[in-house]
Amino acid sequence: MNWIQGLLIAAIVALLFYLLRSRRNAKTKAWVKVGYVMFVFAAIYAILRPDDTTVVANWLGVDRGADLIEYALIIAFIFTTISTYMRFKDLELKYARLAREVALQNAQAPGGEPLRRV
Amino acid sequence: MGIDTPYHDVWIVVPAFNEASVIADVIADLRAAFDHVVCVDDGSRDDTGPAANAAGAHVVRHPVNLGQGAAIQTGVEYARKQPGARIFATFDADGQHRVKDVVAMIDRLTADDVDIVIGTRFADGPPARMPALKRLVLKVAAAVSPSSRKLHLTDAHNGLRVFNRTVADGLNITMNGMSHASEIISLIAENGWRAAEEPVEILYTDYSMSKGQPLLNGVNIVFDGFLRGRMPR
Repeated sequence: MNWIQGLLIAAIVALLFYLLRSRRNAKTKAWVKVGYVMFVFAAIYAILRPDDTTVVANWLGVDRGADLIEYALIIAFIFTTISTYMRFKDLELKYARLAREVALQNAQAPGGEPLRRV
Repeated sequence: MGIDTPYHDVWIVVPAFNEASVIADVIADLRAAFDHVVCVDDGSRDDTGPAANAAGAHVVRHPVNLGQGAAIQTGVEYARKQPGARIFATFDADGQHRVKDVVAMIDRLTADDVDIVIGTRFADGPPARMPALKRLVLKVAAAVSPSSRKLHLTDAHNGLRVFNRTVADGLNITMNGMSHASEIISLIAENGWRAAEEPVEILYTDYSMSKGQPLLNGVNIVFDGFLRGRMPR
């Protein structure tokens, strides 16, 4: 197995496990920002010296720098998809709790006035 | 405790979504045996809420459709705030459950000194009108769930449940949709609630069959199970 194969599989498994198990907290958010800044610097560097990505790719057992970047993109895409899904789930729960509070405040006992239709 | 109304401390929670054609009969049947019924109208587009109210139920109406899990949580939160509420039951709105099964489960809860009694369709072999594929999927669902196995439960996805104050106060369903059934089982295991099963009969009427959830929904339930650990409490 190539270095890159091991690295990519490990990255996918680690991300999935991390996202599914950890709660979103201040530390996680900070690391996401640090990662984003590192990504920006790496991107600028790769634009200025595109051939260097091939050197790094070769260290990892990949032929071309462009391929390495594509692999990194796939990982980033998976990460984004899962974290968006998680965030939607969290929002859904908050939304449900809000709607529940509204529902409980407008509860109707039997024999009372007819329900207000929305 | 009043002699004429032996179940005056019981609250029946009926989650309902677009059930206007049957809800009045279901509520009336329940009200013949129980004083307190709360119907959670889960944002129905028809007259489910007013029909349930006219039939004698308290009605709590979600302003938008949230799903059955959310409706059960709302109903339990409403019921547990009511003075004198000691025993709680969940009962599907589509007319597939029998009131006498609830009565038997309430008696069982008191007699056996357990925290929650769950209805099972598999006590005496599979029910007559249950489709073969559904039977298989429900069996597999019960067998692969670690919590179900630990608790020796055979039917995790039964809509009939009777539980006491401890469970009602501790209940916090975060899965809004159909995954609440497995979530309740996990909550039982995590909190160490004492659980028992009571054989019940499900009336597979054409109406309830048409309202039933598609089996493919099992995929969603399994996936939600992985997510549960990280949902905010």
